[in-house]
Amino acid sequence: MAEITFDGVTKIFGDDIRAVDELSLHVADGEFMVLVGPSGCGKTTALRMLAGLEDITSGSLSIGGAVVNNVLPKDRDVAMVFQNYALYPHMSVEKNIGFALKIRGDSKSEIKRKVGEAAAILHLTDYLERRPKALSGGQRQRVAMGRAIVRSPQAFLMDEPLSNLDAQLRVEMRLEIARIQRILGVATVYVTHDQVEAMTMGDRVAVLRAGKLQQVDTPQDLYDHPANEFVAGFMGSPPMNLVRCHVRPGDDRVEVDFGDQTIELPWHYTSSHELPASGLDVVVGVRPEDVIITDASSPNTIKTRVERREALGAEILVHLSHLDSSADALANEQGALRDISRRSSLVAKMGPRVQVAVGDVLSVQISPEHAHFFDATTGVTLRKRKP
Amino acid sequence: MTTLMTPPKESDSSNKSTRPSRASRSKVGRWVLFFAMMVIAVVMLYPFWVMIVTSLKSEAQFLAGQGFSWLSWKNLSATIPIGQEVLSSTIVCSASILIILVVGLPAGFAFSKLRFRTSTAVFLVIVSAMMVPLQAILMPEFVNVTKLGLTGGYFGAILVYAALGTPFSVFLFTTYFRGVPDELIEAGIVDGLSYFGALWRLVVPIAIPAIATVTVLQFIQIWDDLLVGLLFIQNTSERPITVGLAVLAAGRTTSIPELMAGSIISALPAMVVYLGFQRYLVKGLTMGIDR
Amino acid sequence: MSERSAHMSVMTSSAPRVRRMTLRRRRQVAGFLFALPAIALVVGFIGVPIGQAVYYSFTQWNGLTSTWIGPSTWAQAFHNSNLWTALENNALLLLAVPFALGLPLGIAVLLHQRVAGWRIFRSIYFLPTAISWVVLGLVAERFFAYQGTLNSIIHALGFSHVNTNMLGYESTALSALGITFVFTMIGTNTMLFLTGLATLDPSLEEAARIDGAGSWRIFRSITLPHLSRFIQLAFVMTVIALFSALFSLIFVMTGGGPGYATTTMEFLIYQTGFNQGDFGTAALYGLILFVLTGIVGVVQLRLIGSNE
Repeated sequence: MAEITFDGVTKIFGDDIRAVDELSLHVADGEFMVLVGPSGCGKTTALRMLAGLEDITSGSLSIGGAVVNNVLPKDRDVAMVFQNYALYPHMSVEKNIGFALKIRGDSKSEIKRKVGEAAAILHLTDYLERRPKALSGGQRQRVAMGRAIVRSPQAFLMDEPLSNLDAQLRVEMRLEIARIQRILGVATVYVTHDQVEAMTMGDRVAVLRAGKLQQVDTPQDLYDHPANEFVAGFMGSPPMNLVRCHVRPGDDRVEVDFGDQTIELPWHYTSSHELPASGLDVVVGVRPEDVIITDASSPNTIKTRVERREALGAEILVHLSHLDSSADALANEQGALRDISRRSSLVAKMGPRVQVAVGDVLSVQISPEHAHFFDATTGVTLRKRKP
Repeated sequence: MTTLMTPPKESDSSNKSTRPSRASRSKVGRWVLFFAMMVIAVVMLYPFWVMIVTSLKSEAQFLAGQGFSWLSWKNLSATIPIGQEVLSSTIVCSASILIILVVGLPAGFAFSKLRFRTSTAVFLVIVSAMMVPLQAILMPEFVNVTKLGLTGGYFGAILVYAALGTPFSVFLFTTYFRGVPDELIEAGIVDGLSYFGALWRLVVPIAIPAIATVTVLQFIQIWDDLLVGLLFIQNTSERPITVGLAVLAAGRTTSIPELMAGSIISALPAMVVYLGFQRYLVKGLTMGIDR
Repeated sequence: MSERSAHMSVMTSSAPRVRRMTLRRRRQVAGFLFALPAIALVVGFIGVPIGQAVYYSFTQWNGLTSTWIGPSTWAQAFHNSNLWTALENNALLLLAVPFALGLPLGIAVLLHQRVAGWRIFRSIYFLPTAISWVVLGLVAERFFAYQGTLNSIIHALGFSHVNTNMLGYESTALSALGITFVFTMIGTNTMLFLTGLATLDPSLEEAARIDGAGSWRIFRSITLPHLSRFIQLAFVMTVIALFSALFSLIFVMTGGGPGYATTTMEFLIYQTGFNQGDFGTAALYGLILFVLTGIVGVVQLRLIGSNE
């Protein structure tokens, strides 16, 4: 078991395709680190460099304190679970799981014992004699896991191991993998594009975009304090509302213009954030659950119109457009087209019993403690330091 | 013959019901079809009929055109050293195929999974060697092998067969391995295999069907070949069966019934292999265009 | 155990010198080493002789000593009537190619109707493919011989005064060879076409039938275009066989005769080299054959290439 350190690791494919750009990341011993990001963000390349399947263009990568840049995969003592499982089709489940041990030269009885233990953990004991072809998707996934855990390696590397499972199995295996990792306490790097997996499984989550590391944090910190617009939009479903607004920090409050409507946010934002003093555009972020319906008489509300409504059972997503005079004027002008949906600018997450219908005019409030501010040009958060 | 009227029993019966063409829809049409197929079958079986019937005559009976006897079969081993020749064929076939596999498998693995800087060009050069007929390079080849002192025993012929079979096997294995996911090899590498280990413990076991295809095709090719055996095995006591037959036949002094008996013996192994592994053969023939 | 100790050393000390190579480099080196035996075999036994053939084609060569003559060997060779006879024989044999493709195509379509017992018929039709062309040549010789099956058939048809001996006459020997060639190619080509037909989507034919197309129309407009790649491949394989696989048949059936009536390029090479001991000219003829098959080979490569 060992810690893993990426230090300025860069991967350039061909002449100028920077798949991974100056990645610095430390995975502590026993930590479950999730690499998440959209496809093509470099997360899989980073994992493959760690496995020794891809060369490192520059920077250094170490496992357990030793630089492994040019160490062969077989000498790195890491185990990898592949997206398509990559089970050896000509071997039984037992042989598949025990293969690495056999190569390593473990004795037959020892292999048998370790494979038995792994199979027990993964509920595969009854399938040891089968070929991969005769297994279900979930069972194959377990075999792939078994192949990794049986080795008690320095680290587990997992490349989207759940993406080929159906939704229900995925939830089940999500918990299962997290449970096993905690039992074994082996440092794990887990690659996924699914932010739900990232949130639920990782001790910490590293968000990548276009080869660049955006933020590394615990799932909750990532959610509560995204470092930039990208992370804010990527984590959470539906994503955070990001609206470009005019902001005027005052003495005892912060005024935010939504179109020609203005709301006030508590003054403490001016101390925790570096808000532009002279009322410049910033991007204000509000999570859908922080958009709250109130009655029109409440102060600090925005008048909105319901454009779309998605009932998801446990919650309702309401797509809102804020009404301002210009929009009203436009709607009036177009007469009959009045009812056609305009582009919504806010999504609100509401309880399942809330009665709303398309076309309703609602007054909404923004949960005063949960606003986010981002630089309108760089997208970086304006928050000063983590509180 | 009543079964002829019932539709053929096929597992894909749904396919069946939609597929018969107009000809097979009517009873008359189907009889015509069946008759045509019988006629073709007779033509295709003609060589076997000639071999069997002719071999069951003595030379005198053959010339007279009637009568049957086992005489030619009894005299066969006196005329043709059939045991020795079958043994020679077996040795040459097995050794050549072994080399073709031992050389072709790693090359196919390399060209599909371990590509090096010029691998595409090298692959194309090797594959185009498939098109070079031996006759085109026969003279230098013969002189080279003779100078190496390899035309005495089996070695010269084995090497020439191996060289002629390698381009095809490289092509087939490369194509086959391109269909194997990279992840599988990578999994083995991460599990601790060297490239050689991956070749021996993963690639070769997975390639069994392709190995069967190469083996069957090359077996038939080499077993049935005349030119290489004729020229590159100078020692008459080490001649393969096909060469032995051809030389006797060209000499025109050997009893034809005995030649036919020898032909049957020479044809049997290839036919057995052929009937047993038909599907591998078809696969090999259409490799690359059959998707 | 050794692997474990190696692993330990990596973990404790910095990577040893041998391990400095990048992973990619190591993979490439492994790839090259794996390909090397195949490269060596093909270069040594096919590539080098091609170069040698070019050199020796300009020499007088008896297998032991060669004397440089220069380009005049080529001029001389093209004045040799035997070469032209052989080329002409090859050209005439090309007339057999349509039959060697057409008959198997017909047979494959018949088999594809899947009349009862078609699997057995299929096996029967393919069976001669397993037999050596030496043996088929022997049988063919019996077929065409004076007392052979062909004459029996003619007599049975009532022409008792007609007696053929196709292999015995210069005018007919090549035809007999061509017929035998067509027979030997039937199995392979039928197999190819049948595989092609099996990949034909039956719903296409269905749709055409619903659109009112007749059987012939369907064959022309759907089946044939679908088979085109298979027909191309069969064509290439047939032509290459015609140029380079007739040796066994000729050796057994005619020995190239009567006269030079059945001497094709490949047989001429053999005769010139091994019967006349003129290795230089034989090597030169070999190059001509090489160019001829090379042209066909380019077509074949493009076929393969169009797939990748």
